[in-house]
Amino acid sequence: MKFQIEDVTVYFPYDNIYPEQYAYMVELKRALDAKGHCLLEMPTGTGKTIALLSLITSYALSKPSNPIKFIYCTRTVHEMEKTLSELKLLHNYQLQHLGPAAKILALGLSSRKNLCINPTVVSAENRDSVDAACRKLTASWVRELAAENPRIPTCSFFENYEKSASEAILPPGVYTLQDLRAYGKLKGWCPYFLARHMVQLANVVVYSYQYLLDPKVAGIISKEMQRESVVVFDEAHNIDNVCIEALSVSVRMQTLEGATRNINRMSQEIDRFKATDAGRLRAEYNRLVEGLALRGDLPASDAWLANPALPNDILKEAVPGNIRRAEHFLSVLRRLVQYIRGRLQTENVEKEGPVAFVASVNTQAGIDQKMLRFCYDRLHSLMLTLEISDTDEFLHIQTICDFATLVGTYTRGFSIIIEPFDERMPHIPDPVLQLCCHDASLAIKPVFERFQSVVITSGTLSPIDLYPRLLNFNPVVSRSFTMSLTRDCICPMVLTRGSDQLPVSTKYDLRSDPGVEKNYGKLLLEMVSVVPDGIVCFFVSYSYMDGIVNSWHETGLLKEIMQHKLVFIETQDVVETTLALDNYRKACDCGRGAVFFSVARGKVAEGIDFDRHYGRLVIMFGVPFQYTLSRILLARLEYLRDTFQIKEGDFLTFDALRQAAQCVGRVIRSKADYGMMIFADKRYSRHDKRSKLPGWILSHLRDAHLNLSTDMAAHIAREGIKEEGSQMIIKVAVLDLSIACDST
Amino acid sequence: MADKQQQVVVKRARHKSSVKDPGTPGVLKLTKDRFTFMPNDPSSPVKHNVEFRTIKGHKFTKDGTKQALLNLTQDQGGNYIFEFENFPDRNVCKDFVASAIALSGEAGRTVPEKSAVPIQDEQLSAAEMERRIKLLQEDSDLQKLHKQFVIGGILSEAEFWATRKKLLEQNYSRRPKQRVALKNDMWSTKPLADGQIFAEKPAVRQAYLNFVPNKMTEKEFWTKYSRAEYLHSTKNVIAAAAEAAEDEELAVFLKQDDMLVNEARKKIRQVDPTLDMEADEGDDYMHLPIQDHGLPRNDNKDVLDSQYEPYRRSFSQHLNQHAAVVLQGRVIDVELGDTRSVAEALARTKHAELAKDASDVYLDKERLERISRMTEIEDLQAPRDPAVAPLSIKDPRDYFDSQQANAFSTLGDTVSGAKQLKCSVSTREAYCSLKECISEIKFQGLTEPTINSEVAFKVLNGLAQNISSNKYHLGRNPNESVLDSLPKITREELLLHWSSIQELLKHFWSSYPITTKYLLTKATKLKDAMSQIYPKLQEIKESVQSDLRHQVSLLVQPMLQALDAAFAHYDADVQNRSARSGERPNGF
Repeated sequence: MKFQIEDVTVYFPYDNIYPEQYAYMVELKRALDAKGHCLLEMPTGTGKTIALLSLITSYALSKPSNPIKFIYCTRTVHEMEKTLSELKLLHNYQLQHLGPAAKILALGLSSRKNLCINPTVVSAENRDSVDAACRKLTASWVRELAAENPRIPTCSFFENYEKSASEAILPPGVYTLQDLRAYGKLKGWCPYFLARHMVQLANVVVYSYQYLLDPKVAGIISKEMQRESVVVFDEAHNIDNVCIEALSVSVRMQTLEGATRNINRMSQEIDRFKATDAGRLRAEYNRLVEGLALRGDLPASDAWLANPALPNDILKEAVPGNIRRAEHFLSVLRRLVQYIRGRLQTENVEKEGPVAFVASVNTQAGIDQKMLRFCYDRLHSLMLTLEISDTDEFLHIQTICDFATLVGTYTRGFSIIIEPFDERMPHIPDPVLQLCCHDASLAIKPVFERFQSVVITSGTLSPIDLYPRLLNFNPVVSRSFTMSLTRDCICPMVLTRGSDQLPVSTKYDLRSDPGVEKNYGKLLLEMVSVVPDGIVCFFVSYSYMDGIVNSWHETGLLKEIMQHKLVFIETQDVVETTLALDNYRKACDCGRGAVFFSVARGKVAEGIDFDRHYGRLVIMFGVPFQYTLSRILLARLEYLRDTFQIKEGDFLTFDALRQAAQCVGRVIRSKADYGMMIFADKRYSRHDKRSKLPGWILSHLRDAHLNLSTDMAAHIAREGIKEEGSQMIIKVAVLDLSIACDST
Repeated sequence: MADKQQQVVVKRARHKSSVKDPGTPGVLKLTKDRFTFMPNDPSSPVKHNVEFRTIKGHKFTKDGTKQALLNLTQDQGGNYIFEFENFPDRNVCKDFVASAIALSGEAGRTVPEKSAVPIQDEQLSAAEMERRIKLLQEDSDLQKLHKQFVIGGILSEAEFWATRKKLLEQNYSRRPKQRVALKNDMWSTKPLADGQIFAEKPAVRQAYLNFVPNKMTEKEFWTKYSRAEYLHSTKNVIAAAAEAAEDEELAVFLKQDDMLVNEARKKIRQVDPTLDMEADEGDDYMHLPIQDHGLPRNDNKDVLDSQYEPYRRSFSQHLNQHAAVVLQGRVIDVELGDTRSVAEALARTKHAELAKDASDVYLDKERLERISRMTEIEDLQAPRDPAVAPLSIKDPRDYFDSQQANAFSTLGDTVSGAKQLKCSVSTREAYCSLKECISEIKFQGLTEPTINSEVAFKVLNGLAQNISSNKYHLGRNPNESVLDSLPKITREELLLHWSSIQELLKHFWSSYPITTKYLLTKATKLKDAMSQIYPKLQEIKESVQSDLRHQVSLLVQPMLQALDAAFAHYDADVQNRSARSGERPNGF
């Protein structure tokens, strides 16, 4: 359908639209008009993504003279694929109605691991080894050598891409990663470099958060994206955590050992170059005198991603004189590694701020703040000069330089915590030095400053006033939408007691109580016998899940559960979890029915949908609080209290409940769907906890469902399933176009 | 396995008419296709010479029980019990019989079929051939039809299959077939219940094939296996590693299953991209221990040396693998019981599965379709097509039942549907019509004497009872269709005729309009075949008992009508043709 929002004609690929989608678009348009940032919460299952895509592309189409670029950030690759396939649908619709004028170029960008089509390279185990394998074939020095000696292997796809030069472009269209690979195979061009190049010209770019937030990767966009862009962070409820992680580094003994090996290897290389090709080192020296900014001259395949964590004026500054010479820089690194090693030898937990740490480095190792700050860039320049292509071997020294650059750049919002052992296993020495970022606004600040409109949206952003404080920005629009429903397609319940009427909880004192474990097991057993198709269970941590599943196994409960449904479980191995999920879906598809055990805050909870028959019921066992004894968390809480006046308890509850809401929200994706949600912990019945759940869950939480025991919950589930089954055909009321137009 | 190669087995045995019978001593001789029993006393009447083709199965007593018995059961229900002098003798015979039965069974089923398929004008690929034979084997009804028409010479092979292209394609497109499910039970007391251990643990399967019986006996093998399982259950990784270091066979069980790891790596490429978390890993630029947003990781990896790494096995892993195997169901059609053959068969299927290329075009397409299906928001989309449910009638019974229901509903329609009931009648109108009736009766007088209403009701009830009860039961109880009330022979005959008429009619109508001589002869042939069935149907109708005759005729009627229509069409066509043949001498 096609309709007007003020001066913009919106092309929406469906015949009907939900009222909240319309309202969402109106708010979004106001934010774009105001060229400001906005914060929008809309429940899952209301078609947020398509509303967003339609409005922004239509907005761009209505202003052909001043085209805006659209950068869409997702958390995961599979969300990227989903978004692109929705965009494809929309694009086809727009082409139908507007003709060739609607043509856009949209593509997803990912790492070499996901884009490479060279069979020898892509078979490498992980991302780093794929990167390294690629560099071994495509680095400029390798290609120079190959030009003389045909026996040196190169990558034919990259060579073809380079040969086609300016002709190597993507025709307009929407490209998922799979499409990019297919196109690359068709043309014989490297999809990765093609995509990296096309990102500059594309109208819509879809990639992972980290491409904007992580200073190590964000370099590509800091050069290429113009200010007139709209940046969207979808499913952004965890954005503060991503920001913090992007700027945190941890160093262990193994890191230091690896770094020492790396330094030795580099010094050998330097000696070799001195003997054979002294001119190279001199050329590098000269380049560094002129400043880091000139790196733009390097060939595309060699370009290291720039460091946007550094303000622009520093980038133009020359590298300090005392680390310009390669051997001098190496000796600085040696001293730094030695210093950190000394710090790790401590017997006690130590915690200090970056200023104190830098001062101590200066006095004890003679490295000043400026030298620290340039470590990351200086290292990469050196690695290029030394023609090092097995970069995956050099991760350790890169970690050290990351650390040095961050600690030399920021004076507040960080702390350095040194722990001699893991406190859960105090007898085993395992020293670790962690640089923890506490301030989420630091990583995202460049994004807010750089781009005209940044949209932060998710199904759970409650309480919505907290996010501007955490991320330190001023949204022009900040709204939370509710779900318009003519029937109850979700049915949340709070279960406080087990079948024996004793309270259930994952609170510390009750956590390992066998009675609670048994009650939880009985609850699941009741549910598997009542609910058809798929059931998803979320636990508060891996260790808790392992423990409780083992105890169910020992007491025979698991066996009884398995008589009703197949059981799959998330593990820390992604390959295995992915296969388990795939099998889980198959089991739901074929009608066998299955249960999936998963962990809140885990990878499955973050990005996998359990909509329709893949999840008729989700059970959240316990409240997913963070591990409150972690020193990092304590330091962050302290920082939040001092800087933003956010109370520890409030933050912890907010954080736990957004995770819980995120988990249970996985079961519903559209209004035709239905799902039940059980919050199995007595603490959910308390008002202060419950009220932090998003509005769209609370509005469906009836008072009668606030304090249930297992048998009552089973009864409600049985009734609910029966009712839903009969209601399946009833269509949800949707807003007609005419009403939408009237209301404007 | 050596005795399988043996052509003839001769053993001393006693033939017994029952288990308690002392039996007749004699010599049992087994050859590939038959067994003979000659009593020691030539005058004894107990002599047997039986072909294995007629033998359906064999039973035997367990080793070490009182008697070494072998019981061969025959198709018709008879059986031959032999008692052997010792168990080894019996076992040799048992193995021989098992393979002989399997062989003759196969031969009975497939060989005549193969030879019966005449390769005429079309060159069939081997795969195509195989597919057809498989279909025939799976579907006995189809086989019957095939026998009746193709071998009977009414239809050619190509004609027969031409109408079944869909069936062939369907089979081709490797749609997952329903398989025998495995029990979802991880702790089975019988470790080999259905080859589950081998399916779940390919390394154990491989080890079995390697070790048994050359290196160790079956018993030793399973003892080792149990020991390994015990060590895992104690979760003492170090102890496991220590034991493994001493015993290399035990180590095989204790170490991580490499075959599983490889398999996983291959399977991951076929996974739905909306689930692919491995791809996320590839895009994750943060090498941090705290990736999961404040989720403490409980990996005690750093605690243990890497030398113990291979010996760690988690319960979750086992759980996932188990569920995957159960989901897949039983993939092999091997008679369970022989451990080795189970292991071999599993290894073969696994191998074949993995050989399939992950970048299969078909799979790719399916994956894309799946994603686009997932993307659309269903309830915002206007309904695109009128909702049409594809009809697929698989069971002829359904057809009959629905015919029955149709017959009843048309009956009802003619009564009530013909007269439009006028419901809103004014008092005046009603009174007028009533007055008319009374005056008419007054004028004509009553033609028949007035009947007591109770009696009338009884008669009516008695007449209609059968019909109404039928109508009432119809469709309510799936187990009790009209067909089931018929005698077995009649029922089977009806079903057979129904399916053959279907087949013939399909071919008959598809040969119109007649444009070539070939089609003409085909139509004639088909017509003749149909006219042979026609009187048979009549016969059935007449042969059944009177109380069922009504129902049978209801069933037969539509068939007869269809045949009549075909005959009428044929006759009309022939007349047309002969009328025109004057104008066109070549007949077309």
